Formats: sequence, structure tokens, C-alpha cells
Amino acid sequence: MRPDDGYRLLVQGVLDYAIFMLDPDGHITSWNAGAQQIKGYREEEILGKHFSVFYPPEDIAAGKPWHELDQAIRHGRVEDEGWRIRKDGTRFWADVVITALRDETGELRGFGKVTRDTTDRRAAEEALRASEERFRLLVQGVRDHAIFMLDPDGHITSWNTGAQQIKGYREEEILGKHFSVFYPPENADLPKKELVRASRDGRLETEGWRIRKDGTRFWANIVITAMYDDTGTLCGFGKVTRDMTERRAAEQALSERRRLLGHLVEAQELERRRIAWDVHDDSIQAMVAVGMRLQLLAGRLPAEQQELAAQLDEAVRASVGRLRGLVANLRPTTIDQHGLVPSLAGYLRDVVRPWGLETSLSAELPNEPPMPVAITLFRICQEALTNVHKHARATRVDVTLAGKDGGTLVRVSDDGVGLPDPAPDDPYRHFGLLEMRERAEIAGGWWSVTSTPGGGTTIQFWLPTAPTQEEE
Amino acid sequence: MTEQFRVLVADDDPMLRMALSEVIAAEADLHVVATAADAQEAADLAERHTPDVALIDVRMPGGGGTHATREIRTRSPRTRLLAFSAYDDSGAAEELKRLGVKEFLVKGITNAEIVAAVRRAGADAEG
Repeated sequence: MRPDDGYRLLVQGVLDYAIFMLDPDGHITSWNAGAQQIKGYREEEILGKHFSVFYPPEDIAAGKPWHELDQAIRHGRVEDEGWRIRKDGTRFWADVVITALRDETGELRGFGKVTRDTTDRRAAEEALRASEERFRLLVQGVRDHAIFMLDPDGHITSWNTGAQQIKGYREEEILGKHFSVFYPPENADLPKKELVRASRDGRLETEGWRIRKDGTRFWANIVITAMYDDTGTLCGFGKVTRDMTERRAAEQALSERRRLLGHLVEAQELERRRIAWDVHDDSIQAMVAVGMRLQLLAGRLPAEQQELAAQLDEAVRASVGRLRGLVANLRPTTIDQHGLVPSLAGYLRDVVRPWGLETSLSAELPNEPPMPVAITLFRICQEALTNVHKHARATRVDVTLAGKDGGTLVRVSDDGVGLPDPAPDDPYRHFGLLEMRERAEIAGGWWSVTSTPGGGTTIQFWLPTAPTQEEE
Repeated sequence: MTEQFRVLVADDDPMLRMALSEVIAAEADLHVVATAADAQEAADLAERHTPDVALIDVRMPGGGGTHATREIRTRSPRTRLLAFSAYDDSGAAEELKRLGVKEFLVKGITNAEIVAAVRRAGADAEG
């Protein structure tokens, strides 16, 4: 095989490029497989035709094919991109190189023409451009975030609607200014530091006070991203700023609420402790002394009156027992020493079981709730269990605690007679239910009771681990 | 007639102090030699009267039952000690037993039980 044959076969076989020759006037003198593939003509039907058949009418009208040959003659080659026409009339986007071919004497022998169908690439480029444009419009239109760019020194090079909204500057008055204008005077060294850190770490997130055009302050959340070009050179920074003033106020209200709940629970516990000691030191002692004197008195009474004295003594004794029960309920919990679940288990064992109730406790808590929440959970359980003891005529009560929705869900179920519906005859019971519900709601949670006559009562309540704002 | 046991009653609550004294005094073989309203007074009176039995309230001003117990143990070693308490002072009960308190009486028990406990302690002091 001669070397020329090798080239010919190569050219013939190439499918991705139309490679063909023109005579000096522009008539086609050779054709390859790629040309057939791209333009749709077979060799025998295109040889001898003028290459202007590939051009759209508007280009022919403008004389473009002849102009391109002129250019090739003048400069040796010409490169062009544009629409061309296939045999079936459809268009494709072509990347074309026409090379003037001359012999050793320099006489023009014709042209070599290499055409590539870049429709797909062009479509991809168009799509990218459109996508970039949409993205730019999106960024431009975002109102909640100030999104803008800085050059490597910190001068503002782009601005969006959100930036205008949050900072108050219009694009034309802020472009080119240094972004340190947004910083309060006490943080004059901060802009530089932030850019240094962003370029060192690639990214920086921070919060702080920033200044609007009108001099007012807002609490900002800021992300600065360093941007590098293909060669790794820093070409600027992207900066996204959000106005967090309202959220910060809401967070402060929330922490204030947390603090208030803490105070409330603490005050309640203190009051209960005080009442417990009062009852313990005063009422119970007095009753005990009365009982002792009654017994002495009974010994001196005639036999027929001793029965009465014994009954009185029994009444006093029962009363002392009830007061002790009250004291036990009012007593400080042991949550601070032992935790919520052990304290509840202890209460069930020491107080509820002696009432003659079977008990069970199941608890799956991922974390110990914070102290005021734990105390509130315990006190509501205590109230619910006391209700079961006083009203339900139940034989067993089951308590479950589970972590749920960022809080604690508690269920207290008994197998008693259920609540009468409604219960106008028993204001105390109603009071007890109300108190539980209020405790739960003050702590930012909810409380509910379901009951079927003869089918027991279930009290469910949920308290958030951190109390949330009350919904009005 | 059996020998009289001499008893000291210490309780800061005047009603209880009086009731307790009456309950004990009502028994022919028991004699209340002194009553105290706080721990310091209890210790002083115990030293002066060296009673057979001291009935000490666990929660009292002047250092409480534990202080009174310690003092009486050194200042009147022959006195036998009974603690009288609310039922939920179980923590104090342990300590008092360690300090040598014979029995721990819960307020609200019957007079008969109180008297029986005092006699047991008195007999121990005799022997």
C-alpha cells in the first residue's frame, strides 16, 4: 500500500467529519463517509455539484459561499461556524474549515473542506448559557438573601434584590465600594480578617451585627465563599447574608420563656416544700398530740364512753395518715439526685403500690430532659396517679415514657371505671385534670384524656425538651 | 411496786412535749424528771438529772436530735436514748442508731407502744 492510499482510506473512513475537496470554483470533487453521514448525500449524487447547496438561502443571497472561498484564497484558510442544510432540508450547526490547496508552483488547485456537525455541542452550550442566565436571574431576584460578589480585595462587583432589600443600597451606588461599609465601627478589623480566613479555609460562616445604609443595625448570618479560577488563582468571594434579626428576637423570647418556666417550676417546688414542712411540723404534730391526749382521756372515761373515744382516736389517726400522704406528694422530688425515671419508679414503688395498685413503668428516653421539664413531667404523673387512686377504682396502672418529636410523650393508663362524662358532681376531679393540663401547656406541651365507662382512663401528655412558644 | 424509771422528754413542739409528758407521767412506774424544748437544753438537763431514759425529737432547734444524742452520750453515759420522729426521717434514723439510739419511734404510734419502749430502754439502763 502506498502512503497516499493510507491517507485516502483514513479520510474515507472518518465518520465524525465531512472531509471533501472542491475545485477552484467550488464544485465538489471528492466525498467521504463522514460527509455522507452529516450531509445526507451519497458520493455519486453530490460529486460535481457546487458546495453552495449546503448553505441556507439567506447565506447564498449574501454570497457567503463565494466570500468564504475568497477568504481562503487570501489567507490560506477560513474558519466559520453557522447553519448548513442537509439533503433532507434540515439544518445543522456546522464548524467549517476551508483550506486553499495549491501546487508547488503556487497555483490554486482547489479547496479542502472539513465540516463538523456541532449541533449537539451548540445545544449544550446554549442550554448552559440559558441555565446560567436563569441562575443569574434567580440570584438577582432572591429577596430574603443578600447575594453578591467581591473582588479579591473586597470591593463589591455584583448586587441582588435581596442585598438591596436587606442593606438598603441600590446596585449603582454600591458597586465598586468596599464591603467594610456594612460593618459597625467596633468591628473595623473584621472585614479583612474574614476575607483572610475565607481564602485560607475556602469558606467562612459567621453571625454578627451589620449596618444598613440608613445606619440601623441588623443581626446577620453571613457565608463567605472564596472563588478560584481554573488555574487556582483567587478571583473573588461570594457573599450570602441573611437578616436574622427577627429570628434572633424569637430565640431570645424562647430562652426568656425557658428561663421563666425554670423560675415557675422552681417557685412551685419551693412553695410545695414550704407547705409540706408546715403540714409536717405543725398540723401533723398537733394531730399526733391530740391523739395521745385522746388515748389518755379514754383511759379515764367510764367503759361505756371508751368506744366513742376510740373512734375519735381512729379518726385522728386516719387524718394523720392522709396528711402524711399529702406531705409525701408535696415533698421535693429526687430527680436532681437520681434522674426522672428512677424517681418515678421510686414513687410507684413507695407510694402507688401501697395504695393497692399493680404498676408497670416502661421508659425509652434518649436523653434526660432538662430539670424544669423533668420536674413538670414528674408532677403531672403524680397528679395522674393520685387521680387513679382517688377516683378510678382501678387494679393496675401502666406508665410509659418515650422520646418523641423533640420531647417526651407520657401515657398513664388504668383499668378503672373511667371518667363520668361530664363530671359536674366532682369539681375536685375536674380541678385535678385542669391543673395537669395547665402544667403541660405552660411547659409548651399538650395534654389529653381519653376514657370509656368501665374501660379505664388514659392520660397522655407531651412536653418539648425545650419549651416552645405558646400558640395563641 | 417496781422501781421508777426517770425520763427526760425533749421536743420543740409544746403540745407534743406536754402530751408526751402526760402519757409517761400517767404510768406509775415512770417519772418525768425534766422536759426540754431544744437540743442544748436537753443535753444540759440530762447532765443535771442523769435520767434513765431520754426521749429525743429528731428535728429540734439547737442542733437537732443528733447533737442532743452526742452530748447526752458523753455527759450522761448511763442514759438510754429513744428517738421520736416523723416517719420520713429515715436518713436521720440511720445516723442516730449509729450514735447509740436504742429505738426509733414514729410519731403517731399508740401511747401503749411509747410506754413499752420507754420501759424497755429503762430496763436496759438498770441492767
